[in-house]
Amino acid sequence: MTASLEAGAPVVTPTVRAFIRHRRTWIVIAAVLVIGALLVLAIQGGARQPGAPLAPDNPGPAGAKALVEVLRDHGVTVTEARALDAALDAADGTATVLLYDEYGLLDDDRLTELAEAAERLVVVEPGFTALETLAPGIRFAGAASGPLDEVACDLGPAESAGSLSDGQRLVTVDEGAADAGWEGCFRDGEFGFAVANGPSSAGGDLTIVGATTVFANETITGAGNAALAIGLTGVTDELVWYLPGPADVDAADAPTLGELTPGWVSPVMVLAIVVVIVAGVWQGRRFGPLVVERLPVHVPAGETSEGRARMYARTASRTHALDQLRMGTIRRIARVLRLPRSADVDQVTDAAARATGRDGASVHRLLVGALPANDRELVDLANDLARLEAEVHRTLDPRAAAPRASGSAHAAEHPDRDDPTGRRP
Amino acid sequence: MSLTGRFALLVALGVVPVVIAGTAGAPAAWLALVGWLALVIGAGVLDLSLAASPRRVALRRELPDRVRLGEPITAVLSVENLGQRMLRATVRDGWEPSAGVAGRNRRRLRVPPSERRRVTMQLTPLRRGDRRTDQVTIRSAGPLGLWSRQATLVSPGRVRVLPPFHSRVHLPSRLTRLRELDGRTPLLIRGQGTEFDSIREYVRGDDVRSIDWRATARHTDPEVPGGTRLMVRTWRPERDRRIVIVADTSRTAAARIADEPRLDTAFEASLLLAALASHAGDRVDFLAWDRRLRGRVHGASGPELLARMVDTMAGIDAELIEADWAAVPAQVRRITSRHALVVLLTAADSPGTARGLLSVLPQLTSRHTVVVASVADPALIDAGRARDDLVQVYAAAAAERGLLDGERVGAAVRRLGALTVTAAPLELPPALADLYLELKASGRL
Repeated sequence: MTASLEAGAPVVTPTVRAFIRHRRTWIVIAAVLVIGALLVLAIQGGARQPGAPLAPDNPGPAGAKALVEVLRDHGVTVTEARALDAALDAADGTATVLLYDEYGLLDDDRLTELAEAAERLVVVEPGFTALETLAPGIRFAGAASGPLDEVACDLGPAESAGSLSDGQRLVTVDEGAADAGWEGCFRDGEFGFAVANGPSSAGGDLTIVGATTVFANETITGAGNAALAIGLTGVTDELVWYLPGPADVDAADAPTLGELTPGWVSPVMVLAIVVVIVAGVWQGRRFGPLVVERLPVHVPAGETSEGRARMYARTASRTHALDQLRMGTIRRIARVLRLPRSADVDQVTDAAARATGRDGASVHRLLVGALPANDRELVDLANDLARLEAEVHRTLDPRAAAPRASGSAHAAEHPDRDDPTGRRP
Repeated sequence: MSLTGRFALLVALGVVPVVIAGTAGAPAAWLALVGWLALVIGAGVLDLSLAASPRRVALRRELPDRVRLGEPITAVLSVENLGQRMLRATVRDGWEPSAGVAGRNRRRLRVPPSERRRVTMQLTPLRRGDRRTDQVTIRSAGPLGLWSRQATLVSPGRVRVLPPFHSRVHLPSRLTRLRELDGRTPLLIRGQGTEFDSIREYVRGDDVRSIDWRATARHTDPEVPGGTRLMVRTWRPERDRRIVIVADTSRTAAARIADEPRLDTAFEASLLLAALASHAGDRVDFLAWDRRLRGRVHGASGPELLARMVDTMAGIDAELIEADWAAVPAQVRRITSRHALVVLLTAADSPGTARGLLSVLPQLTSRHTVVVASVADPALIDAGRARDDLVQVYAAAAAERGLLDGERVGAAVRRLGALTVTAAPLELPPALADLYLELKASGRL
């Protein structure tokens, strides 16, 4: 014992070094997976196509690469701009500017600024603010009912297009705008026009195209879409393709959340997260391996009986169930009345009738004859059986005040049988 | 490695410098946060490097070998620090839950280098059998109590928990009745199951029929010339009978009746019968059987018998397999070829499960006196009485069916020449003891 004390108890927990050596394969696999994931993320992040609608470098269905490539092939310099400053620089008063403001990022000041800088401005699917600012007389009028082939104006590109595919959105031109020189093209009956052209509030030429259908890769080949798109954008040698981005968000109006809160709030939140992690490690670290308890098998003994009761109930075996109760009652009555084990049902019935003073026929009916027609009768009969049994017991009870004549005969049959000394012959 | 609550609190206290620095601006607050975290982690690493190794520890246990179920024991664990640093340890002893450790099974200790400290735990085992512990886990904290090292060490310990033998309360009264039969109170009644004990002088009150006239004639009375003294013969019960107790450990023994498994009731009954029979001078053998021999006590007598029986019973639990009764006669024959009292402790309550038993009973009854002792379910009798609504009536019918089945099996067993004892769990041991006394008195052993 002393020798083993000197050596110390054997240790189950591996040391850090042993742990690393033992799990080396898994650690290497995990490391490879993590590094691979980071690499894939880096490559994907750099090379992934921007999926923005009408982006000039997006070859997807919603992009506009087809149109841009065609224009470039024909000598048009297409400049992509993601911020207002870049767009203004590129426009430089002579270029055509295509504006597609998907999220309505530009406010009226910026729109005005853009309109002033651009000689020709094509606004695709304008927002409410854009219409209000650039073309006050133009209103939204919902979606077109189908393909449009009524040109209804003398705008060059529209005439050369001749028709537009399905999926257009309409605008109306009110009288004030019409007086100011606005005209609508591609009429959809009484509802409105898919394209509107006129002088902008800043004085340049402004074309409003209701839907992106005309320019998107997926639909540009339909009807006269391509002709209209090229006609609108390929007029000048330079085209500025302006899609407002995050830089155009107007951030000057209100203070940000960061400016409103004191400087220590974010660090304290980070600290709180660290504290939660530390507390989790503190409470979550297991104090040694789990201990296994070897439990023996124990089965509740009443299950057989319960299962049998449910089986009787499900099959509504009233007669069968009642017979079980009857057999038990007959057996107990026979025992109480000291009838021989071989006594048959009739003998027991007669003896019970004599003991209780009941009518023999009714006792026989209760113990043998009656058939329960419904659940109510079954319960009643079961209780009658219990009552009969109790009555038989009562007649044999020596404390009973006046035992019946027939009952006392049975009671007298078994006086104290055992020798009180316990001796045996 | 593990962290303490103190470390978590220390990290949380970082809110003070961060807020104070935050009044000067956000960058200062961030700087304070990073600085504080670096500080506390540095403190933790320092603390960890100063903690004593929980691996360089020697352990020794002091445990009682055996304990009766329900009695408390004291388990002592000595922790010796073999390292050079002060060991500030929290020790967790890995006892099974059923070992019944009082309070939490972990203790704080401070063990200086090369010294030894004792951890004392009170155990009150909850179940029969071997209660074990395999390992001790030690968490060694540094001087600051921020981070700690943890290791689990192998240190097996075992306490054998013996059956409780609650039924021993019935033993004194049964022994009194045994003494009435026994040689110390010689009987004057001759009959089966008795053997000649002695001849003594007649005293008033003796049965005149037991006067032995030939002995009387030989004993002349020295005080009365020519007279003789009346002598009576005394008898005593037969001794050195064999009793073979067979406990069925198959699936029926796993049933729990009135919150006690049948097997435990069988063990209680076996122990009471063995204690009584060994006092009466009979030789007792014990078998635990299902499809194989689970335990056997053979050739023991006196106090050793009970000790060996409880030791054998301690580790036996019921298994969910069908009992192989066909091999039981052979097992009994291996113990004795003479006439014996064979007590079968099993569940004779349904014709289906008792078929195997009934088929081998004739082999046993032809040679031995056989008693089939089984536990009756008091819940069945209660269920048979409640008849208030339809559900209860069906339950009562099912219970009656169960009772009838039990009686049918009992009748079949009796028809095959064996005796039956059926009683509720608490009443079975004394009932079996009474049957034994009755058999002994009537000389049927």
